[in-house]
Amino acid sequence: MANRIENRLNELKANNQKAFITYITAGLPNMDKTKEIVKAQNNITDVIELGIPFSDPTADGPVIQQASYEAILNGATLKKTFALMKELRDDKVETPIVFMMYYNTIVNYGIEEFVKKCHETGVDGLIVPDLPYEEQDDLKKALDGSDETILIQLVSPISKDRIPTIVKEARGFIYCVSSMGVTGQAADFHKEVCNYLSYVKEQSKVPVMMGFGIRTAQDIVPMKDIIDGAIVGTYFIELLRKNNFNPEAAKEYATTFKKDINEL
Amino acid sequence: MNKKAYYGEYGGQYVSESLMNTLNEIDEAFEAAIKDEEFIKQYHYYLKQYVGRETPLYLAERLSEKYGTKIYLKREDLNHTGAHKINNVIGQILLAKRMGKTKIIAETGAGQHGVAAATGAALFNMECTVYMGKEDVQRQALNVMRMEMLGAKVVAVESGSNTLKDATNEAIRTWAKTAEDTFYIIGSAIGPHPYPKMVKEFQAVISREAKKQHYEVEGKLPDVVMACVGGGSNSIGMFADFIDEEGVELIGVEAAGKGVDTDEHAASMAKGRPGVLHGTRSYLLQDEDGNIQLAHSISAGLDYPGVGPEHAYLHDTGRAKYVPITDVEAMDALMELTKLEGIIPAIESAHAMAYAFKKAKEMTKDQSMIVCLSGRGDKDVNTISNYLAGNGYLN
Repeated sequence: MANRIENRLNELKANNQKAFITYITAGLPNMDKTKEIVKAQNNITDVIELGIPFSDPTADGPVIQQASYEAILNGATLKKTFALMKELRDDKVETPIVFMMYYNTIVNYGIEEFVKKCHETGVDGLIVPDLPYEEQDDLKKALDGSDETILIQLVSPISKDRIPTIVKEARGFIYCVSSMGVTGQAADFHKEVCNYLSYVKEQSKVPVMMGFGIRTAQDIVPMKDIIDGAIVGTYFIELLRKNNFNPEAAKEYATTFKKDINEL
Repeated sequence: MNKKAYYGEYGGQYVSESLMNTLNEIDEAFEAAIKDEEFIKQYHYYLKQYVGRETPLYLAERLSEKYGTKIYLKREDLNHTGAHKINNVIGQILLAKRMGKTKIIAETGAGQHGVAAATGAALFNMECTVYMGKEDVQRQALNVMRMEMLGAKVVAVESGSNTLKDATNEAIRTWAKTAEDTFYIIGSAIGPHPYPKMVKEFQAVISREAKKQHYEVEGKLPDVVMACVGGGSNSIGMFADFIDEEGVELIGVEAAGKGVDTDEHAASMAKGRPGVLHGTRSYLLQDEDGNIQLAHSISAGLDYPGVGPEHAYLHDTGRAKYVPITDVEAMDALMELTKLEGIIPAIESAHAMAYAFKKAKEMTKDQSMIVCLSGRGDKDVNTISNYLAGNGYLN
């Protein structure tokens, strides 16, 4: 079996389309809602990131920190998220799903056990923001290059000389983050970001996605010819909150974004 | 895997990709600095003329007599700002200047490291921001004022549990965004490589002096060396020069709060499991889902749910032994040291004293131990007064 993320991104490439990726915190406000919000995006959003809440999310800003904190208070755990995954796959939801999580949650579960469970429940990829390239050996060994679950690589604008090494054997897509700011900045800012994205794109064999401060498809106009897709996290959570986590709001937003991003 | 970032299976660099180049730069700058005589000379100049080193190794006469063995106190409480924390701040801030940074950030729990960082920033004319949990800002109002007097900006962190670990999270987040002109001064022997190594290097002066001072008086090595362990900065400094001296028994004293069998303690080695937090792999207090648990101790400085990675290694290899001391035992020891020697210790250091009294009973009068008196108790008078009044404590 090939990987769901890779399959989807290959299809998009064949049709000359861009990818749209969303992030939600698993268990916010509860697992049932999370399930509905995932289902509402089926066949629209190309990849869904499910954030596994952690007590100390050092790579997240205030919105996702708060989401994580509330989800934990509401009883969200990795085990329950695995159960949710199984239900989704049993219900024939075939959207590629990536777990975005901190390394301690994996270590605590047991790396081998964790990977086995990912395979069983259909977790297609992993994003671990506090596990830089140098520390990935144990997890990669457990994943063993299998197609079921792949490790997504992150790069930042100050990764510079590290980029070729990081992207060399990357699978799925490259997640380009920026700590340099948000949208609506001056032209110089965009130029610098575009240079960085171009360099990643030039080095990478897999699609390149950008994720920071994106709200609408319009926000990626300056880099539309470089990147292969956009990731929306913080704004998506704010939007869901505003709409009382109504799955219809998720569906409507995803539909619009997915349409717009391919008409830029 | 970067092998030199590890102590056995502990340590590493578990940070976001956006900090990796920063860590590599610090590592290179640090390795070059400690081989540079000029840098070392400067560091020692400030330790002597500004901090007031060397600190005495004092033979606590009345305690030694009462407990039947020689009890030496390494008087880190006599340093400028009242604790060992300043040793490391001087080292890291000189490194920051050498790297051309103009701003520093620091995390603090009780405020001791924050005050030391703010002091260093005033001395070296750097902009300083200290991250402190909102809860701690409220209960350590005097230290907040001291930091502000020294010109630092104190940011009250409102996230998660509003305490030290959350302040550390926020400092890491800020650092990831501002590393170009900002140096993060970590106060404890924790964090990603090279931080645990740097903190040890800059605190090793404690054991270098103590070893020499003990030789001068006793003509031999001490039998036992002891220090309290929160994150583990004073203890790793106290152990550093004795680790290779196999005959010297090393003991780290963890805070057992209300007891290691309750849910309210900070004994990460007695009760924790290996995990990853704040850039390093070490023993951590965590729940069954891997979320970090809150630590509890009457001493704010030991109130941290993890421990430095080298301590985890020394623990597993058996080179050092780690023991728990409860709030009550520490407070009894604090009162005893105060009454018998006229020294009011920090509650952190009183944990080491409490175990020293237990250990002394196994020792003879010809043997000797060195206890690191890491800080003075002035900062703790409110806590002590509440405790003595039977009102529980602020922490």
